[in-house]
Amino acid sequence: MTDKTRSIDLANISLRDALDLAVLVEEEAKDRYEEFADQMELHHNPEAARFFRFMLAIEAKHESRLAERRRGLFGDEPRSVKREMIFDIEAPEYDEVRANMTVRQALGASLRAETKAFEFFEAAAGMVQMKDVQDIFTELREEEREHQALVRQEIARLPPEGPARDDDDEIVAL
Amino acid sequence: MTTTNAPLPTYQAKDYKSELKPIWCPGCGDFGVVQAIYRALAAIGRPPHEIAFVSGIGCSSRIPGYTTAYGFNSVHGRALPIAQGIKVASPELLVLVAGGDGDGFSIGGGHVAHAVRRNTDITYIVMDNQIYGLTKGQLSPTSPKGLHTVTSEYGSLEEAVNPLLYVLAYGANFVAQGTPADMAGLAEVIEAAIRFPGFSFVNVQSPCVTFGEDDQQVKNHRATMQSLAKLGHDPTDRLAAMGLAQKYGKELHTGVFYKNPDPPPTMNALIKERQQVLSEKAPPRSRIFDRFLQT
Repeated sequence: MTDKTRSIDLANISLRDALDLAVLVEEEAKDRYEEFADQMELHHNPEAARFFRFMLAIEAKHESRLAERRRGLFGDEPRSVKREMIFDIEAPEYDEVRANMTVRQALGASLRAETKAFEFFEAAAGMVQMKDVQDIFTELREEEREHQALVRQEIARLPPEGPARDDDDEIVAL
Repeated sequence: MTTTNAPLPTYQAKDYKSELKPIWCPGCGDFGVVQAIYRALAAIGRPPHEIAFVSGIGCSSRIPGYTTAYGFNSVHGRALPIAQGIKVASPELLVLVAGGDGDGFSIGGGHVAHAVRRNTDITYIVMDNQIYGLTKGQLSPTSPKGLHTVTSEYGSLEEAVNPLLYVLAYGANFVAQGTPADMAGLAEVIEAAIRFPGFSFVNVQSPCVTFGEDDQQVKNHRATMQSLAKLGHDPTDRLAAMGLAQKYGKELHTGVFYKNPDPPPTMNALIKERQQVLSEKAPPRSRIFDRFLQT
């Protein structure tokens, strides 16, 4: 938990800050998927790029829905939770990608990211004092559970993969 | 003149990110390092135009281009002399230096000792991947003994340079290590290094995803890294720091190895002091040419 946030007192977090945290978690994931899609396009891997752009759109939708909810409850009150305070809560780790990765591997990276987010919100829900904040974190945890199920379904729909090629890690000349 | 009560601008990590998209190999450790640098700079809060970022040559030396600070992707191994010149000429700038282990400890190895002893207030971040990645996988100064590469087909016969012990032995007053496997910890040590008054050194174990060894990858760092703070290390104890630094290459310690609790004056402070002493005896500016005319 502590390596994912910095200077945030999760046990005593307010509802406004909890919503801001949730928005930033989605924003961070969205930005990471955009970076991954750019990297894949640069390295001539359009299939993985397309998948990461799809994930980017999903995270952007979640972000805007949560931001709308925050605005409805707290208007334009200033944010005290900042992007610099969170570290890869739902964003896939940078070392999850490879130049020649398959769509299945890209989906695997997303599944691990959704699992991380689930674990974060589960732990956070167990720590908080305020009931309404606990409800929010529990709700977010359940959403992450649904996302995991969706990604698993997508993985199951993919055709089986052959053995890994020994040039999987090699970069494509630019 | 009008005054305003408007708050001073604050900076976020994204304010230090340039429009240029990194062309590193997907999965490269340097992606995490640059993110940690953005976050450290946001915590410091200096505007991008007050920051100069100098690098040498190599994959990691592309970093200045990925920031909105003034950048100088300079000559192989020569980033430190350039950065010291910038800091002496423009003391108001925050000066960062970045490069790889080859740039810092092979091609530019001779400059590190002098940067340490001059104690110019700059922060040197080395992205140590133990290989020459940009030129497709040759031995670098920090490659472990026995490593098989395109230039050491039967395994390297040389001992690796130990960057931590190297700078500690030359008297560096701030020495830390991080890994992109712990981005929060890395951002924290970079911020502490920047805040330290004097030469500060951060070794980042940033694996090469394409030519690096499997057991050196970020995933392995997550499993093996040990926080110096959690080990109860006293960062004011130089000898203890040197003892831990000897484990470089065998164990991955993260955090601050050494931070001088009583930092000596920086090069800029000494220059200013010297200027003040000399200016008391110096002729007024209007008579500066008299000295030449007298002869």
